[in-house]
Amino acid sequence: MSAPLPAAAEAPAPAPARVPFDRRLARAAQTVTSRALGPYQTAIVRIGFSLTWLFFLVREYPHRHQMYGPDGPWSFDMARRLIADNRSFTVLMWSDGRLWFEVVYALAVLSAVLLLLGWHTRAVSVVFMVGALSLQNRSVFLGDGGDNVVHLVALYLTLIRCGQVWSLDARRAARKAARGEGTAARVELAGPVLWVVLGGFLVAATWFSPVTGEWWIHVLLWVLWLGQGLWWLVEQYAPGEPRVLLDVLANLAHNATLVVLMAEVCLIYATAGWYKIQGSRWQDGTALFYPLHLDYFTPWPALSELLASSGIMVMLLSYGTVIVQVAFPFTLFKRKVKNVLLVAMMLEHAGIAVLLGLPAFSLAMIAADSVFLPTVFLVWLGGRAARGRDRLLRRGPAAELPPQRPAREEAEEKADGGLGGGETGGESAPRTLVG
Amino acid sequence: MGTGTGREARDRGGMSAHIDSGGDRRPAGGILALSLPYQVVAAVALAGLGVLACLHLAMVFLHVAPSNTLTKQHGQAVDDWIYPEFEQNWKLFAPNPLQQNVGVQVRAEVADAGGGTRTTGWIDLTAQDAEDVRGNVFPSHTQQNQLRRALDWYGNAHDDEGRPKGMRGRLSEEYMRRIVLLRIEGPGARADVGGEVRRIQLRRVARPVPAPHWSTEKRSTEPSIRLMPWWDVTDADRSRTETNR
Repeated sequence: MSAPLPAAAEAPAPAPARVPFDRRLARAAQTVTSRALGPYQTAIVRIGFSLTWLFFLVREYPHRHQMYGPDGPWSFDMARRLIADNRSFTVLMWSDGRLWFEVVYALAVLSAVLLLLGWHTRAVSVVFMVGALSLQNRSVFLGDGGDNVVHLVALYLTLIRCGQVWSLDARRAARKAARGEGTAARVELAGPVLWVVLGGFLVAATWFSPVTGEWWIHVLLWVLWLGQGLWWLVEQYAPGEPRVLLDVLANLAHNATLVVLMAEVCLIYATAGWYKIQGSRWQDGTALFYPLHLDYFTPWPALSELLASSGIMVMLLSYGTVIVQVAFPFTLFKRKVKNVLLVAMMLEHAGIAVLLGLPAFSLAMIAADSVFLPTVFLVWLGGRAARGRDRLLRRGPAAELPPQRPAREEAEEKADGGLGGGETGGESAPRTLVG
Repeated sequence: MGTGTGREARDRGGMSAHIDSGGDRRPAGGILALSLPYQVVAAVALAGLGVLACLHLAMVFLHVAPSNTLTKQHGQAVDDWIYPEFEQNWKLFAPNPLQQNVGVQVRAEVADAGGGTRTTGWIDLTAQDAEDVRGNVFPSHTQQNQLRRALDWYGNAHDDEGRPKGMRGRLSEEYMRRIVLLRIEGPGARADVGGEVRRIQLRRVARPVPAPHWSTEKRSTEPSIRLMPWWDVTDADRSRTETNR
């Protein structure tokens, strides 16, 4: 657990006096229990993936029946036979009705929108996960690498407190704080209603557990649902130590999952890179030439031809790709190099989006990469986005909101602190994109 | 973990200083804000989640790593952990990128108006996809993945003699037939053969991408063709299966 986040590695403390090991251990335990690290990084991952999945679902809306519908080429009955064997989780196996399919697709779209906005993030992230898994597992032979990343990250996001900033949740928390704790009397209905409705779905999921889904996914859903209920009860009736304990547990789950997510991204690049090294085409520097001549991945043949016409260019890009992919995990220990490589990888994915016609895959990978973006940059980006929004809506900055700290101030504060997997922890007032 | 500099510690309300001094004032959150019984719960959770995260990462690592001593001995445990929800494959264009355009073509035996049958010429289904992808900013999975991956899967689910490997092999044949019928039968089809399809035959055509012009390498560009058997088409292969319900 106390495996250092890149954040820690990037901020070599001047170490004035030698701190005894047990003290440092206690301090680390306090850090991972008191804060959900990387609030901006996890928020950008949330926004990135919900946006990717939303784009995808909207784009595929005309094709949805052919892809996931009960009468598509991969029919309900065929999916049932395969899922009886591999036990994957999809609520589309609950019924072969067309209406049910439309409902699930609509809920998947809705959950993507709500997760993007950060409305009741913890609950909505679970709906998002169920929607993504349901569609993808329904037609498992349809996906590509992009779907694969969305699948994994959707699972991880259910355990990550990804709505701490840039969310409607954060705006609500800020308003509540501005009104003062005393006026908490205003009843929040949406949460409990959502909880009850999701409880109904959960009972259905349990009822259908012999049909679809491994045991652990039902346990996960129950734990999350009971946890939400317990959280609400404790907040109402036991705001003391029990509330702090719940916060500690949520932080622990968040931080552990964040480490897993970061390692997962490293594994993706390490696998992609190390296997390439063994390939003769990547060794002789012609590898990139071939995908540029595959019919399925050349939406712009003239552009592909132009790029593929220069042997030197193809070799430089082929070698560069392998070097960047293999090197990336190791550069996490050096902030500046890491950031350079991060930019290189994001640019490469942007290129892939256009050149190979894989926008969803590329957007998903960029969203995954962004978990390593520096806080300073993200805070700056948030400030720019908020100013852009204000200008667009022709209103003064945060006109109807409690004053928030300007992004610049926060950024300066962090400038010496490194990426900080969350140096801007819970204390500072959260900035919001949508508020 | 990211305790950072002293200045940040002050910003966070002197938390670190407080820890170091042994403290008579509890911090507002975290394990140090709790009394002993609660601290025990938190510590157990910390250990449990830590172990779980490490175990999960180890499993994912073994899943993506090449076959090795550990996976040869405990491959089943890794598979049980990973499949189906954490399955992943990041050998993107690795070890070597695909160096041939693999396509699928179909010809069909179609019922005639006169009661007889006629056989169509070869219809290139992959060429339809290629055409749809060209000039497309955001190709659909139905254009870029459905047929391509179905053919991939069909190949993996059959042995070298073209015999299906178990349930998946038979499913992959049914899947192929349904994808094909959707494209060649009926008024909504991309290449309507104009009648009821009785039987279909597929062939897989692989055209190697020619070596780059700057390369001295000699690469055969001769396409390799693999003919599949004729398949009878049944009602179960048609998309509209409401009657079966």
